[in-house]
Amino acid sequence: MKSFKYADEKISEKEILIAVPSMVIGVGILSMPKDLASVTIAADGWVPLLIGGLIVVLITWMVAKFASGFANQTFLTYASSITTKPVAIVLTFLFAVLFLLITAFQVRQIADISKQYLFDRTPLEVISLAFLLVVLYAVSGSRAGLFRLNVMFLPIILFIALSVFVFNLGWFDLGNLLPVFKTGFNDYVKGLNTIVTSYLGFSILWFYIALVDKPEKAPKMAALGMCIPVVLYIMLFILCIGVFGREVTANLLYPTVELAKVVDIPGGFLERFESIFFVIWIMAIFNTASMALDVAVLAINSIFKNMKKVKILFILAPVVYIISMFPQEIVEVNSFGAVMSKSMLFYSVFVLVLLFVIAKVRGVKRDE
Amino acid sequence: MVSRYFFRKKEKQETKNKEENFSVKIVKNIEKNLDNLKEILGEPNDLVIREFTIKGSKHKCAIAYIDGMVDSNLVHNNIMKNVQLITGRDSLPEAESELFEEIYQEILSVTSIKEGTTLDDISNGILSGSTIFYLNGVSKVIIMDTGRWETRSIEEPTTETVIRGSREGFIEDLRTNTVMIRRYIKDPNLRFKTYQIGRRSKKDLVLSYIEGIINPDIVKEVNRRLETIDMDDAPESGYIEEWIEDSFLSPFPQVLNTERPDKVSSALFDGKVAILLDGTPFVLIAPSTLGNTLQSPEDYYERWTIGTLLRALRYLAAFIAMFLPALYIALVSFHPGMIPSDLAFSIAASREGVPFPAFVEALLMGLTMELLREAGTRLPTPIGQTIGIVGGLVIGEAAVSAGLVSPAMVIVIALNAIASFSLPSYSVAISFRILLFGMMFAAATFGLYGIILSYIMLNVHLVNLKSFGVPYTTPFAPNFLSDWKDLILRAPITTIKSRPIYMQTQDKKSVNKGDS
Repeated sequence: MKSFKYADEKISEKEILIAVPSMVIGVGILSMPKDLASVTIAADGWVPLLIGGLIVVLITWMVAKFASGFANQTFLTYASSITTKPVAIVLTFLFAVLFLLITAFQVRQIADISKQYLFDRTPLEVISLAFLLVVLYAVSGSRAGLFRLNVMFLPIILFIALSVFVFNLGWFDLGNLLPVFKTGFNDYVKGLNTIVTSYLGFSILWFYIALVDKPEKAPKMAALGMCIPVVLYIMLFILCIGVFGREVTANLLYPTVELAKVVDIPGGFLERFESIFFVIWIMAIFNTASMALDVAVLAINSIFKNMKKVKILFILAPVVYIISMFPQEIVEVNSFGAVMSKSMLFYSVFVLVLLFVIAKVRGVKRDE
Repeated sequence: MVSRYFFRKKEKQETKNKEENFSVKIVKNIEKNLDNLKEILGEPNDLVIREFTIKGSKHKCAIAYIDGMVDSNLVHNNIMKNVQLITGRDSLPEAESELFEEIYQEILSVTSIKEGTTLDDISNGILSGSTIFYLNGVSKVIIMDTGRWETRSIEEPTTETVIRGSREGFIEDLRTNTVMIRRYIKDPNLRFKTYQIGRRSKKDLVLSYIEGIINPDIVKEVNRRLETIDMDDAPESGYIEEWIEDSFLSPFPQVLNTERPDKVSSALFDGKVAILLDGTPFVLIAPSTLGNTLQSPEDYYERWTIGTLLRALRYLAAFIAMFLPALYIALVSFHPGMIPSDLAFSIAASREGVPFPAFVEALLMGLTMELLREAGTRLPTPIGQTIGIVGGLVIGEAAVSAGLVSPAMVIVIALNAIASFSLPSYSVAISFRILLFGMMFAAATFGLYGIILSYIMLNVHLVNLKSFGVPYTTPFAPNFLSDWKDLILRAPITTIKSRPIYMQTQDKKSVNKGDS
């Protein structure tokens, strides 16, 4: 039937506001304080977090602004009108590959962290597979459904993060935050380098802006959405340093999850809050993984127009699974994540610059 | 995808020829007509045919009806007497057709009256309680609606009892039910659209909505789906529900059913449709959303603080009904470290000697619970209570002392059962109980990880589910914050100033009345 306007495949700008943080918040934050604390002094890590955050917000805004100039056009369509069809196909395909890598990374990470906090005997492969199957189920449904899932899950995720924050305030030691601004300039750059993984995800805008109902409002909403993880990350990082101190934070595998360990639920119903925290966090990781896979499918679908979505999924799923099982140890997984996220960031910036410059040179009109 | 095939199949069926129709025309000879009638009905002994002549003339007439389906006083006083003793008239027209016209216009004092020309009209009429008037020499008959039969009196609905609120419930008679709705809504825009359902049973079905409030797309879609219905008979509105719902694979009911006229009327004011079927007290309300399934009309009748708290309690009950045994299994068999140590010791002590893993234990108790519930529903009420005693005391107590299950598990299952039956709609409660077993299985395989994955899957299913074009999870997602005033919260009635936005009603303002 003809659905209601709000119920069809178009998404509102409000849903972009939710989708961006849902995509960005994933596994990155769980280990981010460790990497950041190991290169900066005391709580100075908030500086690169803030600077990096501002840069990412800016890039997000620019990507959204650029893409929203081509209302209701897919990435492939406007990229081909700016460059040429073959170049556009290559650009799209590379995006698809990168998004597949993101999905694989999330699928792998979830198994690693589950092994740490939930079970020690269940094999990695099974945990990953179960998660991947759920992601596949979600992606094979409607695209609007994914955005609705974001809307349903993000409040729960933010709530659990905030409750960790509030319950930890009692253990917060201001002395751990001192001294301030002792980190050298090079270390700040190193710090920026480590947090790229956590800020990953604004690239979905290249593809999702085409689905937005009122694209002119999207850039502001996307930038606003991007601010949510920036604030959340800074809060959680400072909390980690304040509670554990820099030394300990740098040596914990997943400091953010460890924060939850300190929490004592009033009333004594449950112990080991970190397991609950991680279980809830699976929703965040799920949102990231499902949207990344969905964008990959969307990208590939725009190249092969006649292929059914389900068929593409059937081909992609084993690929994702094999890639996710490829790294052997956690160190390898981390370096895989680092390489992948850096390439995603630079590729997005590269595409933005490329398209912008060529569009200016060739005078391709954006409809504004 | 599946439903697409399903609907295509239905459309194909529609084109089949309807051999049940008797489009035989009525002839002038009265004997022949009566013989035809007897022949198609198979000369049943409840068919009453009275042949007579009009006083002082040679005109042969007959009336026919089915005994017990008509108001015999009406037939005697307003039909038979009037025609037989046409008095106070100097002369009757000689021509049969003029006489027929005069009888139709002036003599028969029945309000609902129409002409029929085919045998099909006659059989349809007579079988739904009409009286047929024949006049020799005319190839037409008069069909008078004189139907009246025994019905149950209006009683308190048994499935949805409230402490405060109307005690009226729908009954099996369609006309009484529409009257009950009319008495709640005296709006001239209230529409009753009649359909005939069932090729052979020819049951009346009424689609009710308020024009000017409801979004016309919903009416169009419900209408389209109702017209695809093609079956011999629809004994209960459940048949209709299954035929018109969006996804028959979903465990969640996408159409609500109710016995309460007040619930129907408030649903109509929200821009929904009600579907009434003759022969059943259960009226369908569509579209419905997840939020609707956890609301009771009583939320609006008590003060708003109580209404809000009760709703919050119901969400908690829904959570317990679906997750509690699964959580217990996950904690006991996968994450014993998460239970506080004192409690862990006492649970471990109570589980001592129990030979089964927690999952098997839960499955045993869960199945027993289902058996008890089913036995309790099917048995006559006096014996049903015995089942409660046998189940509650004997099995619960004995199973624990025999060491088959632990007392903790009995508590968990009992709490879970109470929670699931505290939900206002039985059909929702029952689907939660199905999902419960799935959750238990997930918990037994993957612990908490399995539960959260199943929870995510459940959400994926829900966000993709629609009820007549309305997303099932709205107003949670797609999010309409102003509709949250009447969701978990039941804001004071004076502050609910608009109809639910998610229903996209034509008339948006001023209801001061909540959701069904």
